[in-house]
Amino acid sequence: MTTIAHDAPTSRMRNRWLKDAAGGRDRALGFLLFDTLAAIGFAGGIAGAVAAVAGQGALWPWALLMIGMGALRGLFAMLALRMGAVRAGAVKRTQRWRVVAASLHRQAGTPIDSGLLATQAVDAVEALDGYVARFMPARRAAAIAPILVLAATACASWVAAVILAATLLPFVAAMILAGGAAADESRRQFVALYRLSARFADRVRSLPVVLAFRAEIREIEAIGTAAEDLAERTMRVLRVAFLSSAALEFFSALSVALVAVYCGFSLLGQLPFAAPETLTLARAFFVLALAPEFYAPMRRLAAAYHDKQCAETAADTLMPLAEHRRTVPVPAAAPLGLRDVTIHYPGSDVPAVSGLSFSVEAGETVALLGPSGSGKTSVLHLLLGLAPLSAGTVEAGGVPLTSLAGQASWVGQHPLLIAATIRENLLLACPQADELAIRRVVAAAGLGPMLASRPGGLDSPLDTRGSGLSGGERRRLALARALLNPAPFLLLDEPTAHLDAHAETALIATIASAARGRTTLIATHSPALAAIATRVIHLGPAA
Amino acid sequence: MTLRTLIVAERHRERRRLRQAGACAALVAAASVLLLALSGWFLSAAALAGGAGIVAAQAFNYMLPSAAIRLLAIVRTGARYGERLASHGAAFGALARLRPALYRAITAAPPSVALALGRGEATARLIGDVDAVEWRFVRLSGPWGAAAALASGAVLTLLGGWLAMGATLACAGGAWALARYAAGRLEQPGRAVQQAMGALREDVAMLGGAAAEVRCFALEDWATARVAAAGDRLSEAQVRQAAVAAWFEALHAIGVGVAAASALALSSAAGAPIAALSALAAAMTVDGIAPILRALTESGRLREAEARLDAVFDAVEDALPAIGSRGPSILTIDGERFLPGSRIALTGPSGCGKTTLAEGLLGLRPLGAGRVMIDGRDAASLPPATLRATFAWAPQDALLMAGTVRDNLHIADPHTSEDRLWQALGDAALEPVVRALPDGLDTWLGDDGARLSGGERRRLSLARAYLGEAPWLLLDEPGEGLDADVAAEVAHRLDARLRRTGQGMILVSHRPVLTALCERQYAADDASRRSAA
Repeated sequence: MTTIAHDAPTSRMRNRWLKDAAGGRDRALGFLLFDTLAAIGFAGGIAGAVAAVAGQGALWPWALLMIGMGALRGLFAMLALRMGAVRAGAVKRTQRWRVVAASLHRQAGTPIDSGLLATQAVDAVEALDGYVARFMPARRAAAIAPILVLAATACASWVAAVILAATLLPFVAAMILAGGAAADESRRQFVALYRLSARFADRVRSLPVVLAFRAEIREIEAIGTAAEDLAERTMRVLRVAFLSSAALEFFSALSVALVAVYCGFSLLGQLPFAAPETLTLARAFFVLALAPEFYAPMRRLAAAYHDKQCAETAADTLMPLAEHRRTVPVPAAAPLGLRDVTIHYPGSDVPAVSGLSFSVEAGETVALLGPSGSGKTSVLHLLLGLAPLSAGTVEAGGVPLTSLAGQASWVGQHPLLIAATIRENLLLACPQADELAIRRVVAAAGLGPMLASRPGGLDSPLDTRGSGLSGGERRRLALARALLNPAPFLLLDEPTAHLDAHAETALIATIASAARGRTTLIATHSPALAAIATRVIHLGPAA
Repeated sequence: MTLRTLIVAERHRERRRLRQAGACAALVAAASVLLLALSGWFLSAAALAGGAGIVAAQAFNYMLPSAAIRLLAIVRTGARYGERLASHGAAFGALARLRPALYRAITAAPPSVALALGRGEATARLIGDVDAVEWRFVRLSGPWGAAAALASGAVLTLLGGWLAMGATLACAGGAWALARYAAGRLEQPGRAVQQAMGALREDVAMLGGAAAEVRCFALEDWATARVAAAGDRLSEAQVRQAAVAAWFEALHAIGVGVAAASALALSSAAGAPIAALSALAAAMTVDGIAPILRALTESGRLREAEARLDAVFDAVEDALPAIGSRGPSILTIDGERFLPGSRIALTGPSGCGKTTLAEGLLGLRPLGAGRVMIDGRDAASLPPATLRATFAWAPQDALLMAGTVRDNLHIADPHTSEDRLWQALGDAALEPVVRALPDGLDTWLGDDGARLSGGERRRLSLARAYLGEAPWLLLDEPGEGLDADVAAEVAHRLDARLRRTGQGMILVSHRPVLTALCERQYAADDASRRSAA
């Protein structure tokens, strides 16, 4: 769940951002306008048909026109919906790309937060859907379609057109009045509703604490009270919102009624003033049938307003994302030298690592030994440019190091596994590796027995959770992958954690042989693993 | 209780507003049909009278129809306002009771079910499901409107003859039948969207957790392309879904056109005014069933949402009543006896099951039978309420709730005095921090205490545990993220507090300054178990 930022951007900035994100030309708009044209045709058909029944020519061409135009309206409405969805897909693709790229190329020190990434890349991006697919076309159509209807009406009866235009003025005034106060109110309302959902989600998330402290009954009551409170406030807001949509409806009904009454009196010849134009039944009927279409685009816009509110909330999350800067990897060579290094993540009380100095010669295996929380992983992250260097220097081959990215191999506790074959999982690190190289690393990492037990061998599929693989097998797979990549550095982050003693011993031997010929750093809390290192750096707990 | 009985109860409780909404919806639909039909008749009749000469024109009663037209316009507006107000009132009323009932069900479900709901996607889906069920209340007035549209449409088109009426009802019925057919076809793309969404979330979560590997192997472009591809599959599924949903719009528009044309043609013998009346009435009749056509597009989603929520209600277990005294309890872990007031440090490498044991002691996950005894009774068979009354817990992740400092402390004891709150905060070495917050105890902390630093969050979680009245404190990594001075301060005050309260303590920690408080070290893993006095 996202938190709604306290210092939200101004609504102008937000609107501009949303407009830019949604982009310009839009085929859904075109179909909506075609729909209005078909509506004009339908009104023509029905007017012609009624006049035909009244004795002016054949009925069937007009009836066919009605059916044809009805079918066209259906077609255009359908196409508008489809185009909206296609377009929304394109906009979401761009935004998703931006979110993921910003996260992967982030600056050192920005904490890794997979929850936030999911919120941004999935929830916030998906919230743009309705805005692009429905709201934007409806909004653009609302500016043009009424003019088309007005022009068509004017061709048949300019007085009726004047009546429609005149009811438009109070209508727009009501929209502005309602829009100013009610839109603000309704946004607050939307936020409140969102908060209630967020509160509910939060209490589900923090269920272990609620249960452990036996606070269930109180929380149930609190959720009930908050929901009741919100219901009451919501209804107050909705009364205003519904009143403004009632005003909308009232003007639309009024315009139909006025047009009907004017046309009726005009046809009767009973207008209380001199007839400004001669109306025929066909013209009068055309105007009457068209009158409701004058307001339809604006009502469609009002119906899509909720989509805009969702998109605004999403925009608050997506707007602040920096455009990512690509860092070009600079070749780095051993020896590595760290001098008085301090790593202090923003927002944390204590530095993760402070005043650490050590060096690693080419081909050496160095173990960083210490309990969890002592900053071992942070040191490895620092070498990759994922953790901030708050003080001190890091050098590789005598020049300042920015990142070992692209020149190091990684084995972690939770290897990245994709839903693909074992071979494809291995090739992630080095797509151009040949069969021989694969066979060699598979043997070196001790994956032989596991592959032999699977009918597909290297081509057996894995799912993303790597189910069917034991913890040790996963680590071996990661190790094989790391070996396949001919990088001079090898970084291992707790490669034996959560393994039983037997599996650990077996893996340690494999790691020891794999590390030969590479400059290796192992972060571990296991003294047994540290024993294979040429040197051990102790990272102690603070006290 | 099942979801269905709950919904039935809510429908019963809200019956007054739902009836009001239904009546208003019926009024809206009937007024719409009448308004257009009357306008059409009025125009055509006026034209005929006007054409027949001045006498006929003056004999034409225009007052009644033109007044009726204006009245109908007002009635329609008012009724729609009433419908919206009543149906939303009913929905929000139901909301205020559905959510607590659902939360009650979640807390009463076995921990494995309940805790699985707390993970990102499950929570998001749960919220979406609740929304879907709530919105069905807003839609309940739809059939009333459709029925009224059909009834008034039938009566009016009957003026143009049986055939006109038959054609109109056939168009409405045909549109409805086709929409039902399309709704059946919507289920497959709907599920495809769900699956694609799940796959996308999985990919994003996988990348979020593999930052170092992605960076190391320079897989950024590969990862971005992968997420983009998953996103594209989702978009494709959504476009397919929209394509089916678009049929509903097409059905509606074509239905209106065909109904109007056929009613007009079939009633042309009755003269232009009646033909006009019949054509417009037919068009508005089909228009009037649009709300139920739209509700059909949602029916599949609603069914699935209800099925998922039902699963939560089905998992509810009857809570066992708490048994036993609240007095000091003797603990036996793996045969090792610990007297009340003992201080035990659980040791062992990470991943050896210390946290699992702690959570088992709280009934949050299954505990091996016979592993832990409390006052001689097997903890695995004790009701969770008894276990939770025995231990006051500071969880490893220092989980906090969205709320104020006070909200978070009140979870442990809602009736505690202001003094005890400050005492607990003082004992957790957090008092100066809270005093410096802009609203003190009432400062809003955001989701999971976002306003606080990691160490402050941990100390607030510790203060919360202090407030829980239990014979044993169960502290999981309380020293994580604290600097040396603060950790020493926390240890010192914890020692003093334990002396004062006489509580026992089970401590999971790597920090010597904290484990030094314990007289017993106890290895949690079977492999290297040793116990030193």
